[in-house]
Amino acid sequence: MSQRELDNLINSIAQAGHRVSGVERRRFLKSGLLMVGAAASATSVAGASESVGVPPNIPPWSKRLGRGVVSHPYGSPSPHEAHVQRRTVDWLTADRIASISFTPLADLNGIITPSGIVFERYHAGVPEIPPDQHRLMIHGLVKRPIILSMDDLMRFPSQSVIRFLECPANGGMEWRGAQMDKLQFSHGMLACCEWTGVRLATLLEEVGIDANAAWVLAEGADGAHMSRSIPMDKALGDALVVFAQNGEMLRPEQGYPLRLVNPGWEGNTWVKWLRRLEVGDKPWYHREETSKYTDLMADGTSREFTYVQECNSVVTSPCPEKPFRVKGKYMIQGLAWSGRGKIKHVDVSVDGGVSWHQAQFTSQVLPKALTRFALEWDWDGSETLLQSRAIDETGYVQPTYGQLRQARGTNSIYHKNAIHTWKLSPQGIVTNVQIS
Amino acid sequence: MFKFLSVVVCLLLLGACAPTMDGEAPEALKPGVDASFAYAGDRVGHFGFGQDATSIQIAGWDIDVRPDGQGLPVGSGSVADGESLYEEQCAECHGSFGEGVGRYPLLAGGEGSLTDGRPTKTVGSYWPYTSTLYDYIYRAMPFTQPVSLSADETYALTAYVLYLNDLVDDDLVLDQDNLASIRLPNEANFGPDPRPDVANTRCMQNCRDPNLIKIVSEVVSEAPTTLPINERTAVQSQQHPGQATYDQYCSICHNVGVGGAPTLDDAANWGVRLSAGVDVLVSNAINGMSSASGVMPAKGGFVHLSDEQVKSSVLYMVENLAASQ
Repeated sequence: MSQRELDNLINSIAQAGHRVSGVERRRFLKSGLLMVGAAASATSVAGASESVGVPPNIPPWSKRLGRGVVSHPYGSPSPHEAHVQRRTVDWLTADRIASISFTPLADLNGIITPSGIVFERYHAGVPEIPPDQHRLMIHGLVKRPIILSMDDLMRFPSQSVIRFLECPANGGMEWRGAQMDKLQFSHGMLACCEWTGVRLATLLEEVGIDANAAWVLAEGADGAHMSRSIPMDKALGDALVVFAQNGEMLRPEQGYPLRLVNPGWEGNTWVKWLRRLEVGDKPWYHREETSKYTDLMADGTSREFTYVQECNSVVTSPCPEKPFRVKGKYMIQGLAWSGRGKIKHVDVSVDGGVSWHQAQFTSQVLPKALTRFALEWDWDGSETLLQSRAIDETGYVQPTYGQLRQARGTNSIYHKNAIHTWKLSPQGIVTNVQIS
Repeated sequence: MFKFLSVVVCLLLLGACAPTMDGEAPEALKPGVDASFAYAGDRVGHFGFGQDATSIQIAGWDIDVRPDGQGLPVGSGSVADGESLYEEQCAECHGSFGEGVGRYPLLAGGEGSLTDGRPTKTVGSYWPYTSTLYDYIYRAMPFTQPVSLSADETYALTAYVLYLNDLVDDDLVLDQDNLASIRLPNEANFGPDPRPDVANTRCMQNCRDPNLIKIVSEVVSEAPTTLPINERTAVQSQQHPGQATYDQYCSICHNVGVGGAPTLDDAANWGVRLSAGVDVLVSNAINGMSSASGVMPAKGGFVHLSDEQVKSSVLYMVENLAASQ
């Protein structure tokens, strides 16, 4: 930079309205010249653009103004995180309207899944519902059938809970063998959010249920009118009619403006775009609780109303998306969850299940919520079979593939919660394997 | 000390704070624990929110049907009526014989396949109840036009799908009285959930013979989708050549619209300016301009910028504008 250019710079700043005193001007000139010198030497020494922010260089972003307030009135992640996206697997479904996408678990931290990357499951796409036009009808075996607007609904007492949401088909592609090449696809039909809503019990108290009331049909306002039968114990237990997620109104993908939340139960029962609750004395046996979301056993019989998502866990670092680079100390990290309550322990094996080491919890341990664990480990660079095994507060121990197949065969599709194995190669590459 | 004081104050002022010995919140107030109010019994109209639902309103939305036939509307449809409707409305995805097209569901076949390695689950081989067919066709089909069929059409399509599965004769006329009496072959094979159905134990040492561990299946992964931090610089260096200039100088006004500067998400405003062509836009940015809609100082006042830098930044803004559309 020549003196003339520097003068031009100073002039331009002055023209832009800045007041530059003589002292400041001289100081500016001096530091400007110093910076020019530093930049030149940095270039000659390092010769690589990636060192631009590394000491002793002063990075360019420290030498200029950044964006002002409300330049992004609703903020987005850094552009450097653009790879953190929901992804789908096209061969799983016929189209993208009745389909599923996966949460990028490898890039998550803590136990809350940001709303924009919670996995999606639609049976007829996302309806666009103006909230002032949305209604919830509650009828059937009730004393006072009612229709609630969103304003009505939000006047009821509400509460907020952090609970995981999991599609019962999570990992369902792997009953017969390892098939998905990434953590996102092997375990990504999973999320955990804070949900805010009205207890379904509160609404049922308000309408008054008949003595023979035993089930509630929940139905969506989407084109599929997705419907599930919910037993009264759950409806009067911890079920919530939810309007908010992670502090803001539900995302359209998650049921805006209203959805059911059945903590610990399969995601399909968390009916989105909830428009109707009918109280009855028997279940309805609708399509998503007969043709789908029933578990076919090896002997040809099927289990119906298999609601609970049993205790499960997976190592999220390392994983195929997060390989190791060098030998040395690592924290093996992962997620554990149980639809029956809190996680009690998580154990990690680095020898294919011969020996196990109790991991530490690195998050809050909440009931029916994702829970973080970690174990310090010194990788010597040899091939390793990594596993995690969760135990919940009921004493249930996450099973092996062998135990699950012994009990159910390989045609079940749903509720696969087997201990998962990653193979870490000497190059640090992680692949999805199943072991004998 | 502070905790002790607050407990004392709490007791003095409220009497009922009931802190536990170690100062933790009572169980019901701990984060993540559901507030402990059970179903309080009927409190009909306690809040009184919402409107009473009229029978006409309920009828408009109450579309569900149960296995015992509850919910079936009055109507009827024959296998023959169903055949033509099916060809018209369903065969495109489900195939003329219910065999399924592409990955769209099969509706027929698969009898006796449920214990196979690859079972074929259809209405005939798997579904437990006829009512589900009626209910689902009405609420969700045809895929692109849900709840568009009449009751008679739904009965007819239900009858035809049953016929495709060899479950009824071709002279069947299905209606609200006979539908529930048509039982499906797999009904008896459904039962309740017995889980937990496995009992692993929490072994910690010598849990298995290491010599018996073999990899039986493996997925060879593609390159990681996530770039390690030290490789992301390559992505950064691919940024638009005009972005650095924009970020450092032009963004000060153009991010928020100072002095009438068009922002990157203001397509309408840019549209007017672009109508004269990008060259005019670049020339105005370099030389400055003044109009009723705003003032652009030459090079935004940063006269040390080269013409090329200004041009590049303008192109970045225009392209970014296009990218955001």
